[in-house]
Amino acid sequence: MGGKTDVWQGTLALMVLRTLETMGPQHGYGLARRIEQTSGDALELNYGTLYPALLKLEQEGYIRSRWGTSENKRKAKFYELTKAGLRQLRKAAAEWELTTEILERFLKAAPQS
Amino acid sequence: MRQLRAFLIRCAAALTGRRRRDDAEAELASHLEFHIEDGIRSGLNYEEARRRALIRLGGFEQTRQAVRERQGLPWIENLVRDFRYSLRTLMRHKAVTTIAIVSIGLGIGANATIFSLVSRFVLRPAPVGDPATLLNILGTHIGDRCCNNLPWPVYNDLRSDAKSFSDFAAYYFPVPASVGGQGEPERAWGEAVSSNFFDVTQIRMVAGRGFTPSEDTQPMIILGERLWRRRFNGDPSLIGKSVDLSGRRFTVVGIAPAAFHSIDQILDTQFWVPLGTAADLVPNLPRRSARDYHWLMVVGRLKPGVSRAQADAELANLAARYAASYPATDKDNGFRTEMAGSLPDFFKGTVVIFLAALFIIVLLVLAIACANVANLLFAQAVARQREMAVRVALGATRARLRRQVLMESVLLSLGGGAFGVLFSLRATQLLSSVRLPSPVPLDLTVDMDGRVLFFTFLLSLVSGLLLGIAPAWAASRPMLTNALKGEDALARPGRRWSLRNVLIVGQIAMSVVLLSATILFLRNLESAARIDVGFQSRGMLLLSIDPRVHGYSTERTNTLLEHLRLRASGLPGVISATCTDQPPLSGGHRSDGFTIAGREDYKAVPSAELYMASSGYFETMGIPLLAGRGFRNERADGPRVAIVNKAFAERLFGNANPIGQHVHGGSWDYEIIGVAGNTKSRSLGEDTRPVLYRSLAQSIGEDASLMGYTLVVRTVGDPAALSEAVRRQVYALDSAMAIYNEETMDEHLRTAYFLPRLAAELFGVFGGIGLVLAAIGLYGVMSYAVSRRTREIGIRMAMGARRGEVQRFVLRQGLLLTAIALAIGWPAAWMLTRLAASFLYGIAPHDAWTFITAPVFLCLIALIACWVPARRAASVHPMEALRTE
Repeated sequence: MGGKTDVWQGTLALMVLRTLETMGPQHGYGLARRIEQTSGDALELNYGTLYPALLKLEQEGYIRSRWGTSENKRKAKFYELTKAGLRQLRKAAAEWELTTEILERFLKAAPQS
Repeated sequence: MRQLRAFLIRCAAALTGRRRRDDAEAELASHLEFHIEDGIRSGLNYEEARRRALIRLGGFEQTRQAVRERQGLPWIENLVRDFRYSLRTLMRHKAVTTIAIVSIGLGIGANATIFSLVSRFVLRPAPVGDPATLLNILGTHIGDRCCNNLPWPVYNDLRSDAKSFSDFAAYYFPVPASVGGQGEPERAWGEAVSSNFFDVTQIRMVAGRGFTPSEDTQPMIILGERLWRRRFNGDPSLIGKSVDLSGRRFTVVGIAPAAFHSIDQILDTQFWVPLGTAADLVPNLPRRSARDYHWLMVVGRLKPGVSRAQADAELANLAARYAASYPATDKDNGFRTEMAGSLPDFFKGTVVIFLAALFIIVLLVLAIACANVANLLFAQAVARQREMAVRVALGATRARLRRQVLMESVLLSLGGGAFGVLFSLRATQLLSSVRLPSPVPLDLTVDMDGRVLFFTFLLSLVSGLLLGIAPAWAASRPMLTNALKGEDALARPGRRWSLRNVLIVGQIAMSVVLLSATILFLRNLESAARIDVGFQSRGMLLLSIDPRVHGYSTERTNTLLEHLRLRASGLPGVISATCTDQPPLSGGHRSDGFTIAGREDYKAVPSAELYMASSGYFETMGIPLLAGRGFRNERADGPRVAIVNKAFAERLFGNANPIGQHVHGGSWDYEIIGVAGNTKSRSLGEDTRPVLYRSLAQSIGEDASLMGYTLVVRTVGDPAALSEAVRRQVYALDSAMAIYNEETMDEHLRTAYFLPRLAAELFGVFGGIGLVLAAIGLYGVMSYAVSRRTREIGIRMAMGARRGEVQRFVLRQGLLLTAIALAIGWPAAWMLTRLAASFLYGIAPHDAWTFITAPVFLCLIALIACWVPARRAASVHPMEALRTE
C-alpha cells in the first residue's frame, strides 16, 4: 500500500511498549498515530490488529488500562506500562539491538573473492 | 509464565461468560471518533472521514470479532455452549435420560465395585511409610513350597551381612491372647515384632511410641487403634499403664494407627508385643532359635538408590554363602523378595482368577448397558434428524454435530458414573460384611479410594465416547433430501444390516455368556447346599476357649476341659457334649503322613487330617461309628489310641479289619480303636480326605492348638438359647477365661459356604442386571424396528397380506438375529466358564443343564420381545399405516 511497510512480525508489541514508555499513558488511536509518526510515516498500521494486540499485552500483565478523558474532552481508554512491561521492554529491546547488530555485520561484510 | 497468565484470564472469561463486550465496543467507537475528528480537521467531510476511518480499522464488526476472540477462548466457549445445549436436550427427554443414566450407572457401578476389590486386595501398597522401598524377604527351598518364613539366626545374619538394606525387621503372626480389663476378657490376635519393627516400617503412632532396642524381651505392648477404642474407650492416659494380656501384665507404650492392621493387609492384628515375649505367649515355639525352624516374617528397607534387582542379586549371593557355611540346614535354601504387603502366594492365584472372572462379567454388563443406551440414542438421532438436517442446511459442520451428540453421550455416561459410585458404595458395604472361614481374624473391609474414583471417571468417559460414536456418526450424516421431505433421514437404500442389528446381536451374544455364568453359579450354590458334610449340624452350639494363653499347664487344661464337658452335659436339654481342638470346616488344618506301624518304608497315607477329640465326640457331632468304639477316658500317659475315618481305613488296610492295628505318624504309634464315617474337613468342595482322630487327653500336651479348644454341645432345642447357660459354666470354672468363636453349627456352616455363596451372589446380581438390561434392549430394538416399518407393513396388508403372515414376518426377523447371536455367544460362554472351574462344587463347568437352559431362556425372552411388536404391527389398519408417514 503506497510503498509503505507493514509492521514486522512480533515488533508491534515492542513498539507499543516503547511508545508507552516515552509518551506515558495513551489511548489506542493516539498510540497508533504516534507509532506511525515515529516511523516517519514509513509504517502503515492496520488499526484493526492493534486492539487484539493491546488486549494480549494486558492479559500478559505488561500494560494496564483504564477509562479516562482525553485533552479534547473525549472518553477514551488509556493504556499505561506496568513494571513487568518495563522489564519486558528492556529485555526485548536488548534482543533487537543484538539482532540488528549481527545482521548489520553480515550486510556490511566485504564480499570475498 | 506470561502466556499461562493470559491463558488463565481467557479461560476465566470464556467460562464465566464475563466478556467485556460493551467495553470493547466503546473503545472502538472512541477510536473511530478520534480518527473522524482528525479527518475532518484535514478537510474531509464527515461521511468521507468516517469511510476512511472504517477502512483503516478493517471494518468495525470484523475488528470487534477479533478482539472478542482474543478476550476469551473460542473453543472453550463452543464447548460450554455445546454443554449447555446438551444439558437442555437431555433435560427435555427426561425418560430417555433417566433410563440411560440408570443403565450405564448399573454397568459402571458393577465395574467400580469389582475394581474396589482389585484396588483393595491387589493394588494397594502396604500401609507403611514409603512402601516402595520396603520388601518382604521370603525364604525359598528347592523342591517344595515350604519355608516362606525365615529362622531367627538367618534373620540375624541378614541384618549384619546384607549391604543393600538399611535395616531388617522381623515379625511373627499369630500370637493368640486373652485381653483383660473391664468386663469379660476378650480373645485377641497379635504379632510379636522385633524392637525396630516400627522404625523400619515407619509407622507413626497415634499416641506413645514404638519399641526401643532395649525392650526386646520386656513385657511391653502396642495396642491397635480399634482394640484401644473398643476395650479401653480410647483412653489417652493408658500409655504407661499396664494391661492384662493372657494373665500377665504388659505396659502400654503406644497406640498404632487405625489404618495399620499388619503388613499383610488382610490380617487383622490387634496388638504388638516384642519378639522376645513370644516365647511366653505362644506355647508352640519351642525351637525358635534353631537354624532350621522357619517362623519369622522378615521385611527389609532398601537403602536409598539401591534397586530391588540389586538387592535380589545380593540376597542370592548371601544364600549361596549360607548354604556353604551351614550345609546341614541351609542347603537348597534361597531368598525371594516381594513388595511389602503383596497378597500371600497361596491366596494370590485364587483371588486373581476370581477377580478376572468377575471383571469379565461386569464388563459384559457394562457393554450391554452401553449397547442399550447407544440404541436409545440411535432412536433419538432418528427423531432429531429434522433438527440435524436443518442445522446442516444452515451451515453447521458435521464435525460440530458429531461433537454435540458425543457431548450428550459423555454427559449421560458421567451421570451414570455418578449413579454408579452410589451403587458401588452400597455394594462395597455389603461385601465388607461377609466373613471368610478362617481361624485367624482377617480384615476384608472394602472401600472406595481415590484410585477407584479415578477408574470410574475414566470408565465413564470411555464408555460415553464409545456408546456415542455410532449415534454421533449417524446423526451427523442425515440424508438431506430425505430429512427435509420428512422421510427417514438415516435409512439408506439397500442396507439391510444396520448398525442397530449388529448392536443387538452383540448384546444377545453377551447375555448368553452372562446368563450361563449366572445359572452355573446358582446351580453351584444349590449343589453346595446339598453337599453331605458327614455330620449332623442341627441343634449344635460351638464355643471356644484357650486355657493355654491363660497360663494353664497341659494337665490343668485337660482337667478344665473335662470338667467343662461334664458340666455342659448336665445342662437341661443337652443330649451330649464334647471337646475338640477344632470343629471341621474351620479353615485351619493340621496333617501328617501315616504308615502301618513297622512298615515305615512306604507311606500309605501321605497326608491325613488330624483332629483331637474327647469322649462323646462322635455322638455329639452325629458322625456314625462304623466299627470299634469311640474315645472314653483315655489316660494321658497310656498307650496312644486313634479313630480313623473310612477313607483312611480303606487307604491303608483295604477291606481288612483295621481295629487293633497300629499306625505310625508324626513320631507316634497309635492303636486304631474305631472307624468313623467320612466328613468334610477343610472345605466343602474337597474330595474326601483321610482323617485320624487322636484322643484330646493324650495329644493336648505336645501339640497346642492355635485355635484353642472348642466345646461342642448338642441340644434338643434351639442351640443359641443355650449360650448363656454354657457361658456360666465356663465362668464358674474360671471367671477370667475369654470365650470366643461362639456360634451354632448352622452359622459355622454358613461361613463355610462363603465362597459358593459369594460367587453365586456376585454373579447372580451382576448377571441378573445384565440380563434385564439385555431384555429391555432387545424389546426396544424390536418394537422400534416394527414402528419404522409400519408403512411397509401397511402396504403389504393393503396388497392382501394376512395378519398371521405379517406376524410371522416380523417374528422371523427377530428370531434370525437371536439365532445369529446364540451361534456367537454359546461357544464363547462354553470357553469362558472354564475359568470358573476352580470355584465349582459338585458340578462340571460344562454343566449340561446350564448350557441348555441359558439359550432356551434367551430365546423365550427374544420371542416375547418380538411377539408384542409383531402383534401391534399386524393390528395396524392399512390405511392408517399408509397415512402415518
